[in-house]
Amino acid sequence: MANSLDTILEGRRSQPHQLIEVLQDVQHDHGYLSREAIDTVSESLGVPVMEVYRVANFYTAFTLEPRGKHVITLCKGTACHVRGANPLIEQALGLLDVGEGETTENGLFTLETVNCIGTCALAPVVVLNGVYHPLMTPARLRALINRVRREEEEGTGHA
Amino acid sequence: MHQNVDLVIDGSKISGRRGETVLDAALRYGICIPHLCHMPTLTDIGACRLCIVDHIKNGRSKVTTSCTLLVQEGMVIDANSERVRGLRRNIAELLVTQAPNSRAIQDIALRCGVTEPRYEFRSDDCVLCGRCVRACKEHYQAHAIGFVGRGQERHVEYPFREKPESCIMCRACVTLCPMSITPCDGPMKSGEGYFCGKCASLTQAPQYEAGDCTRCDLGEGFDCSGHL
Repeated sequence: MANSLDTILEGRRSQPHQLIEVLQDVQHDHGYLSREAIDTVSESLGVPVMEVYRVANFYTAFTLEPRGKHVITLCKGTACHVRGANPLIEQALGLLDVGEGETTENGLFTLETVNCIGTCALAPVVVLNGVYHPLMTPARLRALINRVRREEEEGTGHA
Repeated sequence: MHQNVDLVIDGSKISGRRGETVLDAALRYGICIPHLCHMPTLTDIGACRLCIVDHIKNGRSKVTTSCTLLVQEGMVIDANSERVRGLRRNIAELLVTQAPNSRAIQDIALRCGVTEPRYEFRSDDCVLCGRCVRACKEHYQAHAIGFVGRGQERHVEYPFREKPESCIMCRACVTLCPMSITPCDGPMKSGEGYFCGKCASLTQAPQYEAGDCTRCDLGEGFDCSGHL
């Protein structure tokens, strides 16, 4: 892990303007921005910790907490809202028994909501681990979550 | 050597220095534009919106914050028109309902013509003026506090909610905070915010107009003299 952070920072040290790109790469490789990662980035780029923390906190693309194995992203943009994002969110909250932005106790699912993912023609959209699931209904969402759970139980789930 | 530009504020022709803001130029000439987040030695961010003025250009007018507007040759600024005063009164009303527990904010609201705030009192004890954040960053290079979160969740915080080593407890953030000046009747209890307005009689000097600065102790450090 420490190695990967070094690789990310390679050639970008002391370049404060690279902050967001570096954070994006760390987020991608580690799944979240740990306190240690933020301290290292701050030191390497010469940006105060407060600034790094502020940026990491501002953008929803960055998370400061470790995330679950599967990340479910529910879009609640205008188009998705109009075409029924709320029942989907309620369905997911009930099924996983977590709040928005939280991770289930077993570390399997993280539920996130975003304001728009830019595929309004496919509304309402649910993204599971980066895969877009268009024209969602509560029933299909339930089936999707159950499928992932079943795969996990059988040990066939892909990380 | 300063390069000078001529501009007109409220009908008075003044000479501004190239690169300075309209607010700074106005204050230098004793034209009072109410302001809260502006401090002479800090970068202006236009956070409190109190210093709004009407910038008239090519027959069109645009309301903008004077602390972030640089002086230009031939500029025409209206800082005290009916329209600007109305807008400013509304901003002051929002500020005083957001954080009534401050004599500085109560005074500013009164001076801006607030009589009975139409909004619910939130009593959040912070108007996000950013004086503390900028002083910490620019005066002391400590970067110990900053804005965290966005929208309604925006607030001032330590990184990771822990006091960092860079904080040397200089307390500049507290000294510069409008909330450090408690109302005359003592601090308000949480949820019991009100608009004081008791010193209305003091500010009602014969020529008093809303928006005028009579330069009393508008909360130490918040007066219109332009000095710290």
